[in-house]
Amino acid sequence: MTAAAPLEVQSLTKHFPIGSAVRRAHVHAVDDVTFELRPGTITALVGESGSGKSTVARLLAHLDEPSSGAVLFEGSDVSHVRRRRDVLRYRSQVQIIFQDPFGSLNPVKTVRHHVERPLRIHRVVPSNQVEQRVHELLRTVGLVPPEDVAAKYPHELSGGQRQRVSIARALAVEPKVILADEPISMLDVSIRIGILNLMARLKEEHGIAFLYVTHDLASARYVADDILVMYAGQIVERGPIEDVLSEPLHPYTRLLLDAVPDPATKTDAQEIDLRKGDTSAAVDPSEGCRFRARCPLAIEICSQTTPQLVEARPRHAARCHVTAPAS
Amino acid sequence: MSQLDPTLDPALDLSLEAPRRIRRGFHVPGWLALLLSNTKSRLGLAMVGLVVVVAVIAPWISVADPNGFSLLAARQAPSWNHLFGTTDQGSDIFSQVVIGARRSLLLGFFAAALATSTAAVLGITAALLGGLVDDVVNVLINIFLVIPPIPLLVVMSGYVQDHGMTTMIVVLALVLWAFEARILRAQALSLKSRDFVDAARASGESTARIVFGELVPNMISRIAAAFVLVFYIALLVDAGLEFLGLADVSKTSWGVTLYWAQTNSTVLQGEWWPFFFPGAALAFTVLGLVLLLAGIDEFTNPRLRSEHKPHRSRLRMLFGGRLATREEGVS
Amino acid sequence: MTILVEQPSGSRRKTGLLELRGLAVEYGFGPRPARAVDGVDLALQEGEVLGLAGESGCGKTTIANAVLQILRPPARIAAGSILFEGEDILGKSTDDLRRYRWRNVSMVLQSAMNALNPVMRVGDQFVDAMRAHEKINRKRALARAGELLELVGIDHRRVSSYPHQLSGGMRQRVVIAMALSLEPELIILDEPTTALDVVVQREILQQVEALKRDFGFAVLFITHDLSLLLEFADRIAIMYAGEIVETAPAARLAENPQHPYTQGLLRSFPPLSGPLTPLTGIPGSPPDLRDPPTGCRFHPRCPHCLPEQADLYRRQTTERPTLRVIEQGHEVACHLVAEGAE
Repeated sequence: MTAAAPLEVQSLTKHFPIGSAVRRAHVHAVDDVTFELRPGTITALVGESGSGKSTVARLLAHLDEPSSGAVLFEGSDVSHVRRRRDVLRYRSQVQIIFQDPFGSLNPVKTVRHHVERPLRIHRVVPSNQVEQRVHELLRTVGLVPPEDVAAKYPHELSGGQRQRVSIARALAVEPKVILADEPISMLDVSIRIGILNLMARLKEEHGIAFLYVTHDLASARYVADDILVMYAGQIVERGPIEDVLSEPLHPYTRLLLDAVPDPATKTDAQEIDLRKGDTSAAVDPSEGCRFRARCPLAIEICSQTTPQLVEARPRHAARCHVTAPAS
Repeated sequence: MSQLDPTLDPALDLSLEAPRRIRRGFHVPGWLALLLSNTKSRLGLAMVGLVVVVAVIAPWISVADPNGFSLLAARQAPSWNHLFGTTDQGSDIFSQVVIGARRSLLLGFFAAALATSTAAVLGITAALLGGLVDDVVNVLINIFLVIPPIPLLVVMSGYVQDHGMTTMIVVLALVLWAFEARILRAQALSLKSRDFVDAARASGESTARIVFGELVPNMISRIAAAFVLVFYIALLVDAGLEFLGLADVSKTSWGVTLYWAQTNSTVLQGEWWPFFFPGAALAFTVLGLVLLLAGIDEFTNPRLRSEHKPHRSRLRMLFGGRLATREEGVS
Repeated sequence: MTILVEQPSGSRRKTGLLELRGLAVEYGFGPRPARAVDGVDLALQEGEVLGLAGESGCGKTTIANAVLQILRPPARIAAGSILFEGEDILGKSTDDLRRYRWRNVSMVLQSAMNALNPVMRVGDQFVDAMRAHEKINRKRALARAGELLELVGIDHRRVSSYPHQLSGGMRQRVVIAMALSLEPELIILDEPTTALDVVVQREILQQVEALKRDFGFAVLFITHDLSLLLEFADRIAIMYAGEIVETAPAARLAENPQHPYTQGLLRSFPPLSGPLTPLTGIPGSPPDLRDPPTGCRFHPRCPHCLPEQADLYRRQTTERPTLRVIEQGHEVACHLVAEGAE
């Protein structure tokens, strides 16, 4: 099991306090999230903003500490390691790519600096080979000629090129897992596919396990093998992506699918219900389904007990009393 | 209505286009090229440079004793013998001014260095560590901000027996650091939340390297601005204290020359030069520093940038069109 | 400059609600200004939804700013005219422009939801905006604000909310309601939903469609998301590097795109259903407008621009293609298309 899944997430939970000391409330940004990332697989994590999907990526990247739950890396819990040596060991295997290509590179440092630092920190190669490895990495992510690119500053690159630098930086340590937090949402349409194709290629050639955090179902379908749908901090549906998208179990997944403009299936009748609830469902949630206020299928039990993830079909689970009832 | 935000910079629409190229030319270091690329900072640099040169060569262009006493030479108007005239003691004012430049520059420089480094260390540390450290530094900053600096200086210089330059530097730094600490703390706070800091952490960088390798290089222009600001405020305050006689009035400096001119009511007797020349020297130096600061502010704050103006082409001619243009790099 | 003269300056078209003729906007001074918009002809009929699509930096927002006359230096209109109901708005007085902006055209920006004053109640912001332009008492203005909010699907009691108490999608709808408050004939939506979630985006666009049916205003919808336009626009104009390269009715553009850039854009959206094929996007990146490629501006990225076809290659790299009608309502600026269709 552990050999198959380099990164396993068990009941991961993160609560943020909000409000004043008098009226303290807690956002359940991530609540009881369990999944695993397998080598050579891209797992899409889909949800609207505020659903907690980026928080999951940050928790896995060891940038925030979870309130409870475990992140098992090759079998051992790393969610609370503090010793620099242990943290470094984890960082040499798990890397993150950020959403904003303009914010994730230091504006006063060259491309070379960004790619070379991880090589030096983790002593991936002897220092006399660093330069050569930087060029190799830049070539891998399609930044040619690497000699020229390495000397450039971030502001001299386009958004897509910057994102490729971020990927090169993540690849430098030869990680087993890459967490990609909305890597294409701020890029121009015509270059998004290029980044997705690059991810798919790295998955194939290096056997990297990807977590692809996105709100874009179509790009998730294009590149991912499995999908996790998050709503208000919980995973509400998970399974192989084709199964989930062709026959969604959870009403939220269906809502998302209907909302996406898809030229291929364009019909004017496809009007969706206007929202009645809102995403504050994650603030001090009471017992019951968090989607019930917006759900067209809601029945009485939905406001009484919180549904559990139930495998209604092989490998395809949903958190819904109606479409995936507990047996 | 819709025009709620016409301030949205239309130039943003161009932001993704192939960005400009760096032209690394000459052997001008980046920061100097940057200062030279701006009209204001170029002029400021030249003015301050002139004062520095004068201060360096002062011993060779002044008389042996700038405070020399000579009744025969007293109260002379500017002439070829005494370029800036003489005091009522017969001292050569030109010599006093050029020698005084040394004190002013040294004092301003060290006061600025001390205040800025204190501000940078405290401000950035507080921003990064947060929690109790941040609270303590904040309280300190606020205490120093609400104390009115001039009365404090007057009181302190009255109590402190030693009126040497070191004392003045420490006193000036003490009253001036808080302004800068607050600004640098705020900037560090906003930089801290940028993704590249998280990205550096995710790469495995240590906290110290994140501060000095990633954050501080982004704050250089702001720190430089803080330095220049403290520099000229220190100059002005020091001259002011001396003028009021709250310093050692036996030494040679612009403020002291002004003090004696005032004490001896020279203007009432129609002698303008003991006032004019040290005053002009002070004004000249401060103006140079102010221009330098304005230049730094301009390329720190893109909104003030006077790029794309026709004068740039003249500049190109001046420097062979090979100036490094790295404004974007310093944000 | 000379190329502008060669372009047919909209002479074939009948005058619509809004018409741009040979519009050119430059940024910067000196010998090499960037032409963000270069010789654009565009017409918008009453009640029509015209989509304007292209990548960032292609000049689409600049067009919106030019239409509203809110270009700020160093941007300036270098050539052409902007006709609103047949009247050139360039050279109008400041007062006339103010009326025009409020009465005739309003705009919703991508960042508009952040343009609400954070320390003022929503209702008061409506009142301020209305009373700046017409005589109306506070009570009536507030009532009107409530009605407008209901129109965009927000409870009228929200007039007493502060912006931070509303979600991003609600704030964006508040701004749309404000844009509607004087019943303009044209609303410019500049990436109105890019910062929002798909579900919220869909809701807002549905509302805009419903409002359009009721009020009959025209919409100039600017976005980089072609798939959105295919659903919501009647007609789509594709921009590349400051030029319009193709215009066609939405359905026709989806089925029969002619310009290689349009084809590339359409191929950049993976489908949500049906078979998955490897996509390529469009290699390369948009040109530097201070130094645009000669000939067709798309030729460095064009898959059909091959040196082997020497004759065509020469034309592609030296001659600037002009928009040609290949079918009723479908215009393309491309040497490949001009070859076959005329």
